[in-house]
Order: sequence, then C-alpha cells, then structure tokens
Amino acid sequence: MMSAAALTRRAAPALACIGLLATWQVASLALKNDSFPTAIEAIRAIPDILGDKESLINILASLRRMAIGFGIAVLVSIPLGLLMGRSRAVAAFFNPLLMVIYPVPKAALMPIIMLWLGVGDITKTLVIFLGVSLPVIYHSFEGAKAVEEKMLWSGAAMGLSAAQRLVRIVLPAALPEILTGCRTGLVLALITMITSEMIARQSGAGNILFNALDMGQYDTVFAMIIIVGAMGICLDAIFERIRARLVRWSEPQFDMPLSFS
Amino acid sequence: MKVVPSRSSEWVRPVASQKPASAIIEIDRVSQVFQTSTRKDHLALSDISLTIEEGAFVSILGPSGCGKSTLLYIVGGFVSPTSGAAKIKGQAITGPGPDRGPVFQEFALFPWKTVLGNVMYGPRQQGVRATEAEAQSRGLIEMVGLKGYENFYPKELSGGMKQRVALARTLAYHPEVLLMDEPFGALDAHTRTRLQNDLLNIWERDRKTVLFVTHSVDEAVFLSDKVVMMSKSPGRIRQVIDIDLPRPRRRNELLLDPRYQKYVVDIERMFDESDETGSPS
Repeated sequence: MMSAAALTRRAAPALACIGLLATWQVASLALKNDSFPTAIEAIRAIPDILGDKESLINILASLRRMAIGFGIAVLVSIPLGLLMGRSRAVAAFFNPLLMVIYPVPKAALMPIIMLWLGVGDITKTLVIFLGVSLPVIYHSFEGAKAVEEKMLWSGAAMGLSAAQRLVRIVLPAALPEILTGCRTGLVLALITMITSEMIARQSGAGNILFNALDMGQYDTVFAMIIIVGAMGICLDAIFERIRARLVRWSEPQFDMPLSFS
Repeated sequence: MKVVPSRSSEWVRPVASQKPASAIIEIDRVSQVFQTSTRKDHLALSDISLTIEEGAFVSILGPSGCGKSTLLYIVGGFVSPTSGAAKIKGQAITGPGPDRGPVFQEFALFPWKTVLGNVMYGPRQQGVRATEAEAQSRGLIEMVGLKGYENFYPKELSGGMKQRVALARTLAYHPEVLLMDEPFGALDAHTRTRLQNDLLNIWERDRKTVLFVTHSVDEAVFLSDKVVMMSKSPGRIRQVIDIDLPRPRRRNELLLDPRYQKYVVDIERMFDESDETGSPS
C-alpha cells in the first residue's frame, strides 16, 4: 500500500506535464496567434513527424552525433579532471586553458569550425564534445580534489601504486561528483546538438524544427519542441537510473545510523 | 642529541642511546618543518629520536599540535621528514608499505565497498586468492564484533563500527606494525571504552608492535607498555615512561590499581608543570 505522500510524489511529474500543457492550451486559445498553435494541435503533429521516414532518419542522426560527442567527451574529460584534481602541475597547466574556453558559447565557435571542417557530422560532433567536456572536467576535478588524503594513504599502505590509486580509489571515490557532471553534460549535449543543427542546417532534429519555422508550419515547430523535450526527459531518466545504481553506496538507506558501537 | 629543555629535569633521560637487539622501528634525529599559510616556517618536530621494540605497545602522548601524528605519518612513510631518518628493521623508510598498517581517526574506509569488500581489499591487493581472502576477512570481521554486517556499506555504520572495520581492514594484510592515529578520538566516551577493551583483547593475542597516538593520558596508560610524552612548539620528546602493569589488563581491575592511578596522576602532573605546553586534554 502506497502512502498518500508517496502517491503524490509519484504522480507529481505527470501532474506538472498536464498543468503545463493545459496552461499552454488556454494561453494559445486566448492569444489567437497563428504562430502559437494550441497544445492539442502540436501534439497532433507529432505522429506525422515520427511516422515520416525522412524525419526519423534525421532525428536518429542527431542522436547518433549526440551519443558520439557525449561518449568521447566523457572518456577524455574524466581522466583529465581526475589528473587535474590530484596533480597541482596538471591543474596549473589546464586551468587557464579551460578558463578561456569556459565562458565562450560553444555554438559561437561553430562558424570557425565549419570553415575548417565543413558542415558535416565532424563539426557538429565536435561542438557537442566541447559543450559536454567542461562540466565533466570540472566535476571530475572537484571530485578528485575532495578525495580524503587518508583514504589514499590507506591504499598506499596496502601496496597500491600511484596509477592504481587513481583508478581504484580516486575514480570510485569521486564517482558521485563525476556523475553529477555527466548529468549536466547530457543536458548540454542535447542543447548543443540542436544549436549546432540550427547553425549548420543539413540534417537532424534541429533542421526539421528550423525548416518548419521558415515555412511557417508552426504546429510542426511546437511538435518538435515537445519531441526534443521528451528526449531530454527520457535521457535524463535513464541516466538517473544508471547513476543511482552506481552510487547507491553514497546515499544512506537508513534515516539514522545504527546505534551500535 | 639536543637536551630537552625542562624545569624539572630529573625525569628527562636520553632515549636515542639505547638500541636493543629487538628494535623494529628506529627514529633518528627527525625534524619536520612545515610552511604555514602565512609562509612562515613552523618547526613541527624537533630532533626526535626514538626506538620501538618489536611487540611493544607504545603510545605517543601529547597536546594537540605537538606533531605526534606527523611523527606517526613519518613512520608510515606518508610524510618525509625535513631532516633525520626513520627505519624499519634497519631499512630506511622511503614510502608506505604493507609492513606498516595505519588506522586513522577519520576511519578512511572505502565508502563504495561493503564491510567485507573493505576488509578483503588489502589481501586481494597482496595477491591472496578471493576465496581465501574472503574466509580470512569474515573471521576478522567476527573478531572485531561485526558478524552479520558483512554486506553493509560504511555509510550505514556508526563511528565505532566504522573504526572496527578499519582495524579489521588493516589487520587483514598482516602488517608488522600497527600505526594508530588517535583512532578513538572521534568516538563518544562509552564507545571509546569498549573499543579500547576490544583492541587490548585482540592485541594481547598476537602482540603486534603498535604505535598509538593519543592525547588521552588514561588511554595511553591503560593500553601501553611505554608512553612517549611530547611537548609542543616545537614538538619534542619530553620523557619516555615504562608502564609496568601486569597483562592481560582488565579495566575494572586496573582502575582500582594504585599503580595505574599513580601513572595517570604523575603524567598529568608533568604536563601541568610544563610552562607553555599545557596539559593534554
């Protein structure tokens, strides 16, 4: 039997979605603007998009670029962040570089990257890579820095070498923080995916969206916004499940520690 | 060796000159200088010489800030001394090793490993087969009184239980010397007493060499064969006192023993007498 509080908690996300769509519907009806279709019109357009082979190929191509960009970024950023967190020399070298890149909107670099690498997959994947890298590096760095010295000493006394300590102590100890960075990175991957396709139109979910906008097919525009939003929610939910499994040890299962000495 | 400055110098005696055959750890004129946050040099340890015999339970007792933990870290190989040297079995200590097992006040357990995973970690690293390591570790977990908690994560345990796991984890890879850094300092009085009793019971079985850092006079006298008294700013050895009390020691008997009481009172008085060092709280 679920308690009332648990039931409310379960139903809350659905209620939020319904509330948002209802507000949208009411606002759209009230404004009576051609470029602002109602929620129902937008939702009706979704099956047309997903039923169209061309559109589906476009969306899948977007997701593929996103997965590759995200994957490579995570594989590069975690080791770099961990090394920076444990070595002052490595941190002193990379910190200024990252500080320069950090405030630059990654999409702003796209025109230049397009000049070098063209408007194809490589450019878009590179922009996604850049967008994802920074939060993952930052959180890995912070996580590694916070690892208790005594934990590393305990490992050293057991005979773990410096490299083994990095992989077998720093990495798992920093994992909760690393995964926080990855979660931010995942959202940024989605954002940079769409913006890259807005700038270099050729294929992808962003391309469908902005082409529809050019042609004044506003129900398609809003349907795409719903689709992208839903993709974000699904990806985040999947990631959160994986994350919770990996770092179960860091979240207390009991409200109070056991009283036993 | 420098003469230790003190008002009542009759209880000051040299400690470096004696070198018994069974010495396991030798600390030879060790000094440690730290840079403070204001970039000033701070002499944490000054000219420490100490010999620890195999199988002895030695406490290093002193007020906070006297460098007693630093001395332990130097023996552990976690910190290199600014000058002087420490040796184990005649070999210079250049880094940490499984012959010296630390137990820290902060427990320093691996939070992503269960109790069993923590205890097995050392033996597995030493190449012991998984089944064998597990059997040994389960035995140790039972010995420290945590049978039934093998699959718990550190987060789910109380402070006292965590320190029991930390002790079992260190004992699991059979270090020759246990380095205990105020291990019961973070625990409440009741838990502390229970752990002292249990540590003594475990230690009296195999008499491993123990170097035990504490600021509690009672704890040092209750556990030790030898108490090394330190003073602070800079950290120096003031005196080494042999605790000549029978073993096995039982708390209820010892607390009533006038000899125990005299050790405690004498050591406390010595700290009180010293001018700027103050008494260890």
